[in-house]
Amino acid sequence: MDKLIETLSGVCPGIDFASETDLVDDGLITSLDIVMIVTELMAVYGVRIDVDDLTPENFRSAETIYELVRRAGER
Amino acid sequence: MSLTSWSFLLFAAVAVAVYYILPKKRRWWALLAAGVVFYAQGGVSVMGYLAVTAVSTYLAGAALGKLNSDRRAMPEEKRRESRGIFDRRRHLIVAAVCVVNFGMLFVIKYWDFTAEAISAGTGIALPTFGLLLPMGISFYIFQSVGYVVDVSRGSVSAERNFFKYFLFVSFFPQMVQGPIDRFGRLQPQLMEGHDLDTDNLRDGIQLMMWGYFKKLVIAGRASVAVAPVYANGGAYPGSVVAFAVLMYTVELYADFSGGIDIVRGTARLFGIDMAENFRRPLFSVSLAEFWRRWHMTLGAWMKDYVFYPLSLSKPFAALGRFSRKRLGGTVGRILPTSLATFIVYFIIGIWHGANYTYLAYGLYNGGIITASILLAPTYGRLKGALRINDKSPLYRGFCMVRTAVIVFFGRYLTRAPWLKMSFIMLRQTFLDFRISALPSGLAGLGVGAADIAVVALGCCAVVGAEALEERGVRIRQSLAKRGFFVQWMGILVPLAVILFFGILTGNGGTADFIYGRI
Repeated sequence: MDKLIETLSGVCPGIDFASETDLVDDGLITSLDIVMIVTELMAVYGVRIDVDDLTPENFRSAETIYELVRRAGER
Repeated sequence: MSLTSWSFLLFAAVAVAVYYILPKKRRWWALLAAGVVFYAQGGVSVMGYLAVTAVSTYLAGAALGKLNSDRRAMPEEKRRESRGIFDRRRHLIVAAVCVVNFGMLFVIKYWDFTAEAISAGTGIALPTFGLLLPMGISFYIFQSVGYVVDVSRGSVSAERNFFKYFLFVSFFPQMVQGPIDRFGRLQPQLMEGHDLDTDNLRDGIQLMMWGYFKKLVIAGRASVAVAPVYANGGAYPGSVVAFAVLMYTVELYADFSGGIDIVRGTARLFGIDMAENFRRPLFSVSLAEFWRRWHMTLGAWMKDYVFYPLSLSKPFAALGRFSRKRLGGTVGRILPTSLATFIVYFIIGIWHGANYTYLAYGLYNGGIITASILLAPTYGRLKGALRINDKSPLYRGFCMVRTAVIVFFGRYLTRAPWLKMSFIMLRQTFLDFRISALPSGLAGLGVGAADIAVVALGCCAVVGAEALEERGVRIRQSLAKRGFFVQWMGILVPLAVILFFGILTGNGGTADFIYGRI
């Protein structure tokens, strides 16, 4: 999780990913940030994230993003 | 039937009456019949285009629904093995429906422009068709194709009943200028037989009144100077040109957002809550944010169905690997996303119409937003060095003004009949401003002090109301909590203003909506 938060903070500096729980609805990340996060996650973790995975639910917090990466790794 | 006509109000009133007279399970019939009657006035060919979209997307949705359910019924292992075949099939169906619908849209909306451009460039004469653009075609095609993609992704179930689906495509308030709603959000509301609720009626009427105020009082008067100046910008001093562009900026917002308020207010009469299309764009601190607040349903459509798939496509993934390796750093990391952003805003530009002005408008928006993404790290360092607090009200105010100026200059492009005229108008603004010529110029255009005063006061009312909403005040909900007298005043006062300033003393020449021609 620490590595993930470090990765996320590198893409979107200034956001406290460790404590934020509603990144999308609170307007902290936009669609542009989501795509930049996903491309970074795919590059760092070597997973394949599909367009169907780009739902607000998967990007609410660092934990939901962690779960997304875990599921993508299992595919 | 214009949304601003008395016949539309009568039509809506009859539809509301029939809706609530029918048994709850049959109330959607009233909406379906209203949609058919409303749209059929455009003629048989217009209905034909609508039928092509409705039938093709319905069949595609049904095929995808069957594909999804067949796959769900498979054992886990087989499901995993068949993923590639399944994905190819669903992509094929989505591609086919896109070819049919966007192909039809291309022929109707863009073919003549393309043929003329090719003829001018190569000397090869291509035929043009001179087809009239059917009302709302850009909106209902996008909405229907969005449904097909949603079924393909499994986020909604396919609608089995064609007539229920046809209502989703042809719900009459949205037929003029959207909003582009989603099946998963709108369809359950269309099917639910809503109870007659005075809160919904009052809320709907108030929203409609606000829309009529914006359209008839503000947009109607702001439009007076617009047409002649955009038609012959070189004949006017820069101050008059800039005034006309400012009035067009006001007109466009009042016209489009006012029309959407009328549409959403009408839907509210049936207890239906349509998607929000504007969220106070004047308060945007960047052009990207402006586009998240302006025509939100188009932006959301582009995000879900163009930007995301494009950004995660194989060519963009390859570009990402290449740019990270060769360029490195922040630029290498964000280059593919920036390119996808540029393409999306370019498409948004040409979605508005077949003209070089819209091509330029797409490049203008895409170029500025892409540059702002690529330069964001530099801005960050600059703000740090200058010790600028980007959360301070002063800095936010500066950003709002900067965004408004960028939007204002974009309006030189979108209304001009051809691109050269936009440049002529810009030349007049920068090289021949002559503020002293403004009073006589406006008098020559028939713009009186009363028109300017009404538009200015109207804008103050809109900005004031939006500033309150920006601070979290919900004006209509607050009114609903007040006594009967205050609630009715919330309807009667705007009605009196609309009747006097919009109808009795207005110019009465703006029954059509600007986005109704898209």
